[in-house]
Amino acid sequence: MKRASKIFTALMFIFLFAPIAILLLFSFNEARSLSVFSGFSLKWYRELLRDTETLKTVRNTLVLAVCAAGVSTVMGTAAAVGIHRMRSRYLRSALDMVTNIPMINPDIITGISMMLMFVFVSRLLGLANSLSFVTLLIAHITFCLPYVILQVLPKLRQMDASLPEAAMDLGCTPWGAFWKVELPELMPAIVTGMIMAFTLSLDDFVISYFTTGTGFQTLPIRIYNMTKKTVTPDMYALATLIFFVILALLLLSNLTDSEDGQKVRAARRAKRAAGRRAPMSPRTRRILYAGGGTLALAALAASLIFAVTETDDRPPVLNVYNWGEYISDGSEGSMDVVKEFESWYRQQYGRPVQVNYTTFASNEDMYAKLSSGAVSYDVIIPSDYMIARMIAEDMLLPLDFDNIPNAQYISDDFRGLYYDPDNAYSVPYAYGVVGVIYNANVVDQADTGTWDLLWNEKYAGQILQFNNSRDAFGTAMYRAGLDVNADDHGPWDRALDDLLEQRSVVRSYVMDEVYNMMESGEAAVAPYYAGDYFTMLDAQADTVDLRFYYPEPTNFYIDAMCIPSCCQNKELAETFINFMLSEGPAIANAEYTYYASPNTLVYENQAYIDYMGQEAMDILYPDWGGFTEKYNAYAYRNLPFDTLNYINSLWETLKIN
Amino acid sequence: MANKIIELRNITKSFDGQVVLDNISLDIYDNEFLTLLGPSGCGKTTLLRLIGGFETPDAGDILFMGQRINDLPPHKRNVNTVFQRYALFPHLNVFDNVAFALRERKVPRQEIDQRVEEMLSLVALTGFEHRSVTRLSGGQQQRVAIARALVGRPRVLLLDEPLAALDLKLRKDMQQELKKIQKATGITFVFVTHDQEEALSMSDTIVVISEGRIQQIGASQDVYNEPKNAFVADFIGESNIVDGVMRQDRSVSFSGQTFVCVDEGFAPNEPVDVVVRPEDVDIVPPEAGMLRGVVTSVTFMGVHYEVIVDIGGFKWMIQTTDFVDVDEHIGLVIEPDAIHIMKKSEYSGLYGDYASFSNEFDELSDAESEADE
Repeated sequence: MKRASKIFTALMFIFLFAPIAILLLFSFNEARSLSVFSGFSLKWYRELLRDTETLKTVRNTLVLAVCAAGVSTVMGTAAAVGIHRMRSRYLRSALDMVTNIPMINPDIITGISMMLMFVFVSRLLGLANSLSFVTLLIAHITFCLPYVILQVLPKLRQMDASLPEAAMDLGCTPWGAFWKVELPELMPAIVTGMIMAFTLSLDDFVISYFTTGTGFQTLPIRIYNMTKKTVTPDMYALATLIFFVILALLLLSNLTDSEDGQKVRAARRAKRAAGRRAPMSPRTRRILYAGGGTLALAALAASLIFAVTETDDRPPVLNVYNWGEYISDGSEGSMDVVKEFESWYRQQYGRPVQVNYTTFASNEDMYAKLSSGAVSYDVIIPSDYMIARMIAEDMLLPLDFDNIPNAQYISDDFRGLYYDPDNAYSVPYAYGVVGVIYNANVVDQADTGTWDLLWNEKYAGQILQFNNSRDAFGTAMYRAGLDVNADDHGPWDRALDDLLEQRSVVRSYVMDEVYNMMESGEAAVAPYYAGDYFTMLDAQADTVDLRFYYPEPTNFYIDAMCIPSCCQNKELAETFINFMLSEGPAIANAEYTYYASPNTLVYENQAYIDYMGQEAMDILYPDWGGFTEKYNAYAYRNLPFDTLNYINSLWETLKIN
Repeated sequence: MANKIIELRNITKSFDGQVVLDNISLDIYDNEFLTLLGPSGCGKTTLLRLIGGFETPDAGDILFMGQRINDLPPHKRNVNTVFQRYALFPHLNVFDNVAFALRERKVPRQEIDQRVEEMLSLVALTGFEHRSVTRLSGGQQQRVAIARALVGRPRVLLLDEPLAALDLKLRKDMQQELKKIQKATGITFVFVTHDQEEALSMSDTIVVISEGRIQQIGASQDVYNEPKNAFVADFIGESNIVDGVMRQDRSVSFSGQTFVCVDEGFAPNEPVDVVVRPEDVDIVPPEAGMLRGVVTSVTFMGVHYEVIVDIGGFKWMIQTTDFVDVDEHIGLVIEPDAIHIMKKSEYSGLYGDYASFSNEFDELSDAESEADE
């Protein structure tokens, strides 16, 4: 029995802590992969220190957490005291319940409702940018507040009601009684509440996601937006560090709160008394408290001012909204393009500019945020079909190419594309093509070259398929020579039959998991983008030999730089776009993302070709033999709503059967 | 007598429409040990809180040395309180608790040290300066609370049932000690209790309160020997209270007999309440008794027996050192000065019959704490 319970406890601990242990382990991994541990290294910690964008979001998150915890602790304590002193029992319990609502309310509802409120209020006030650091802070205070009250209120109820009366009886004013008697008694609860508020704020994603503005991104949002590629291992390092910081905080709060802590302090006191040293007089202690309090307040005020000036409009501000991990950011010795732009601008124009660079995880996220009217961005980089939709909805401004002379270096292949036939609204940034990745140690060379490999029964159980309807149907339709933009149901029904037939050989339907499964050799065949193939190649296990080919026809996508209609500084935005097209930054971005560039300054540059290697160049820039025609014929376009619905219902059929 | 320190003038106070104090007038004199005595919920703690400044009266005035102080906040009153559960500050040690009031007044450090030491020695806690108050016994905490309240040398010390939480032996010691401290310091004590024995043994003046009204004010002996009405007679000590008729001065009839007494000034044939204390009744053989009855119960109490006697259907309590047996027929003799006559009041007929007497019942009314709200 005893042994059984020991085993159970051990299992429980393994269950609870195994994920963190693995995270910790892989933060020290030499390689990029999550499946292969190739040796101990501090590389990712070093990488983390160089990742200025991430460090900035870490700092943002900390500033936010400190401010939110500080303000909500003060407000929550005051509120708890107020509620406690209410004479009316009904009012008291009603307020008690009301303060608990944000705690049990789903985050997403809190987030959406707060965003709506901020947008509404700022419309009333006529502000352009309704979401900012301040709104984020208000939102965080809102959800932290009940936790502080929840900590402080019970302590107040436990406290002898005659304590403040005794203090007043002995000559304290009511305020004095609160500071000198009630507050010291409440301190452990207040500190616990503050630590809770701090960790909750640190932790929050959903509410932040809805309420953050253009210039201020928190760490959880940044990590979420890294889905364009895979989460980089320096995030494991960061998560490990955060885990230990939180752990230390937790230990600290337990120590101050627990019996043990009191014993420790009592022992210390006894020792002090035995040593005949004068005990700290309340005056000294008061000075210490006051000093500590002032310091904390000063730090709070300073960080607030810091944070506010950060988002203040003093120098011209450029708000850039891009995919996560889609710009060269200074990691692994690369160019920090955003910083480079800032210093270039200062040199060029003799005045500073500030770039607020924030990221999104999908076109739909970006579209939702923009169409809410809550934020304003100056430069966005959406994908082709989204550009078509936004042009149709008047959400983009035509570009003034006099300000973007570097647009001339864009290859002619990228002119007259369906989504922007007159080349008026967009400048292509990068493009990708879907190909097939396979493990040459498993797959026969003779079986490659076409979409048939994904249906090949020889490799049953080792084939991966996209876990999203459009891409999965696409593979079947290209293979069968069907129109991937068909409006009528016939081609889609045909494709479903093929996908149903394929299911017996498919190991699983995946998106981001594709990286680990291919790198480790767990799967041998997968359709994915060329740029991502190089990421996998970097991290593949010794027993794996990944190769890549383009079947014909296949899907292309293009991400292009655009200026949304909410832009506040169009000329500056165009200056930025032009800078992005200039040789240095464009090459840095292409080298960082591994995606193909439409910019002749990039793919005709010898240094770039040398850096990538001929093999990679052949894969990224094959001779398309009429790129424009192929792109316009085969790339996915926006489908009518009911066609999309129909595809999704077919997709359900596939996934359920 | 000495100067009036506190005067209460027609004080009325209610909570949520319920009258807690009803037209209270009371003078408190310098150097006096005054006890507010009454059952739980009678309003005595509220009265104390009014003096301390924690409540304000709905009507009436509180005067301190002739000044109206109705709206003066507690920290500006020259009055200190010893709270029921002591209300020591848990985050401060013994020394800092006691020094609290002096530090509030910015008394020089040296004087603080000296006065705190003085107070600690007064309450016999020298050497406990650096002890945490949470690690003291109940009696020690009590002493700290007293020292803390006295260190500022208030004109009046208010004590709200300060001994209620102590066990019997400690309570007796502390009663002695409080009395001694009061004598030594010369400070006026206003002491709240529901324990009549405590009140009798400590007080110069007892104020008996029931249902928000003062029933009687007087010295201990007066209140005991000459209770004003049936409530006071019953609440202070044991009393047999029977209906009687005053025949004329110094002659009263009750229980079917006429007795000689010492009271005068009633109208002829006025109905009255007659009080006879249990210890003032002598047991004699039936034929020699002024009253005759049957013993229904005998309880051994240590110093005496408590005997319940049925006389014509009314149960009397008699305390005697002579042993009698249950069902024995006995006679009772009552001396004239053992008979106390009171005017009829609203309390007549409510108290003084021991028909339902039992020990448990007695304990029930002896609740430890009261909730005055």
